[in-house]
Amino acid sequence: MAGSRLNSWDRGEEELVAPQDARKGGAHAPLLKEAKVLNKKKTAGAFLAAGALALLTACSGGSSDDATPDSTAGGSTGGAPTGEVKIWMPTQEDSQSTAWEAIVEGFNATYPDVTINLETRSVDELKTALRQAAGTSAVPDIYWYWEGSGLGGELVDVGMSRDLTDYYEQYGWEDRFTPAALAGVTQYGGFHGIPWTQQGEALYYNKALFEEAGITELPTTYEGLVEAAEALKAAGITPIQFGGTVNWHVMRLLDALIETKCGADVADELNKGDGDWGTEACVTDAFTEFKSWGDNYMNEGFMALSNDDSSQLFYSGDAAMAFEGTWFEGNIVDNGMDVENVGIFTFPTDTGRLYGFGEGFYITEQAENPDAAALFLDYATSVEGQDLAGNAWAALSVNKEVDRSDASALAPTWIEIFNAATGIYTNNDQNFSTAVTTEYWRIQNAVLLGDIDPADAGAEFQSFREANQ
Amino acid sequence: MTTQSPPRSGAPTPSRSARPVRRRRSPFLRALPYLIPAVGLYGYFLLYPMLDAVRLSFFTWSGFKTDEPAFVGIDNYVRMFTSDPVFWKAFGNSVIWVVLSLLVPMMLALLLALGLNRKMLGRNLLRSVFYLPAVFASITVAAMWRWLYNPTLGMVNQLLEAVGLEEWTRTWLGDPKIALYSVFVASVWQAVGFSMVLLLAGLQNVPQELVEAAKIDGANAWQVFRNVTIPALRPTFIVVVILTMINSLKVFDLIVGMTGGGPAQSTQVLALWSYTQSFTNHSFGQGGAVATVLLLVSLALVVPYMLWTMRGEDK
Repeated sequence: MAGSRLNSWDRGEEELVAPQDARKGGAHAPLLKEAKVLNKKKTAGAFLAAGALALLTACSGGSSDDATPDSTAGGSTGGAPTGEVKIWMPTQEDSQSTAWEAIVEGFNATYPDVTINLETRSVDELKTALRQAAGTSAVPDIYWYWEGSGLGGELVDVGMSRDLTDYYEQYGWEDRFTPAALAGVTQYGGFHGIPWTQQGEALYYNKALFEEAGITELPTTYEGLVEAAEALKAAGITPIQFGGTVNWHVMRLLDALIETKCGADVADELNKGDGDWGTEACVTDAFTEFKSWGDNYMNEGFMALSNDDSSQLFYSGDAAMAFEGTWFEGNIVDNGMDVENVGIFTFPTDTGRLYGFGEGFYITEQAENPDAAALFLDYATSVEGQDLAGNAWAALSVNKEVDRSDASALAPTWIEIFNAATGIYTNNDQNFSTAVTTEYWRIQNAVLLGDIDPADAGAEFQSFREANQ
Repeated sequence: MTTQSPPRSGAPTPSRSARPVRRRRSPFLRALPYLIPAVGLYGYFLLYPMLDAVRLSFFTWSGFKTDEPAFVGIDNYVRMFTSDPVFWKAFGNSVIWVVLSLLVPMMLALLLALGLNRKMLGRNLLRSVFYLPAVFASITVAAMWRWLYNPTLGMVNQLLEAVGLEEWTRTWLGDPKIALYSVFVASVWQAVGFSMVLLLAGLQNVPQELVEAAKIDGANAWQVFRNVTIPALRPTFIVVVILTMINSLKVFDLIVGMTGGGPAQSTQVLALWSYTQSFTNHSFGQGGAVATVLLLVSLALVVPYMLWTMRGEDK
């Protein structure tokens, strides 16, 4: 297979090896090695690497042999790549659409004959479309998805995702991404997907409202958090806002309480293993606390509001806290709130783990243009592509060379949080199958509404899980 | 003058032999070529999916083409009736919705039709105003009413507060005890105009000579309404009742748009639960089982009513 050009964005004009040649150690293999040596000369972003290493100890199975940074290559056979790359993603925010257009434009500057066609759908429609298209010729070349076992893992199980091991070798992607980001794509064996974001979720707080309530130090224990909520309530301030109609918003609090009350090991058993929700006393404790938050500290009428509606309370200074992710800073700015008045601290679970999840791009097994698809993803996750992406999708980049400490006001805080985290615990709607998630949400809402006693919630959920195994 | 009558026996003339053949062709056979395209489309797009959903209810399938459906007999039905935590709630809500739909919007529609059947200033304008909600897409109606019910900024609670009824304010869509009825109010607002138009059309077909005759016989207004108007409206009532039953059994988009079946599945109905099981939970067998129950309930309600009313018409 004839090699095509190396991408200009990272390494200038060089010959590159095709996947098959590299795999076989063919004639072009020395070029790949040479490319890696050249890449070693690049300076890595020190703080991001440190953060990534911290997470590696807890949650990653991936590792890299050397510090080779971006490795990029063209993906076509016999010359410049051509054709269409069809990509499916959820509906994008304005800032994301703008960044996307810049990435596509940057890519097309080098590869004008590759047409990138993005199709967006709402989250639920995307899930449905992928399910319906699986195994058919209707699949796109690339799809964006969450990496958790209940979502991304399911599509891997049914053969929707292509194992990208050859491309990882060809482009040196193992050396590009943070270990935490790589963990999400190596968890199913091989390399399924390419990391796009590593999201963290924590408590955003309104500094002025905390001060008004007399809170001088950020809570570092769960008891301290409850005391802070009590102080806010006493000052006539809604402690925290949630929107109940979307289920997954309130779920964040329940997930964090399970982690807090059960500890990391038991929580992992409950969420990802065979733990018994009906017999663990910590489950009842978590649901009891959960109900207490609903009764005492959440915004009035939260169950009838969407997360978008309830977030307005935070932007307008009517609620002191929001349990949100790395993406939330963009929303704060878009909604006119002074970001200097906002701080972040992790939900004090006392396990040291950060709440969060990864999102990635997957190339389909039936992709018509996999080489061009890989080429595009290579550009999108390169330093140049990630600089164009900015913080439109996440505060931090999955590319360990990309320094976003100056990208936004809250980026340094997020970097500190990631550096301090000993691991990740994932949202349960990514851990569970969709049917189990639906029941998890029903029970969480029924507990909040008083229809299910917190003491019965775990047993009822366990009963459903067993019936649906 | 002589006339030649056709022979009564013997070999038929060519012209006579052709006629009986034409006569033997039934109207159905003559219509068949015109019916085939419509029947084909109907069969492929309506009957086949319906029967396939029933077939699927005896299988377990995740919805992936790569995943072969596995036959499980009546397991999906057993699970649905015994261990599905939402099915009976959805079933009960569907029954409540049908009963309320047959009572409230129909009654209101009849009253509006009777009122707007009189000659009065602005009659056409009022008819248009009351009919207008029926032309809106349900999802639009849902968005509008969701905003009206917003617990903090919604007009319903603000209005109640403005007239001194603060204690009546509620989380209309967040309280499982009233959420279904809150959605139903939006449904009434949307549905009543359509039934009103049908009943108005029916009222204009009431024979005026019968009304006049009844009045001459001394009947008062109630007696005219009871003994002349209502019987004359019978065909219209049949249409309105059947359409109302069908529409209420398949209520879906309004609930999706306003509550998504929540909170805690308290506004779940059979059509939405079937969809949720299939397309959200990806349990197509379970979804098919719920759809089959919905189909049977629909047939059990609509078919006897149609047979009964058709017998009445024949008499």
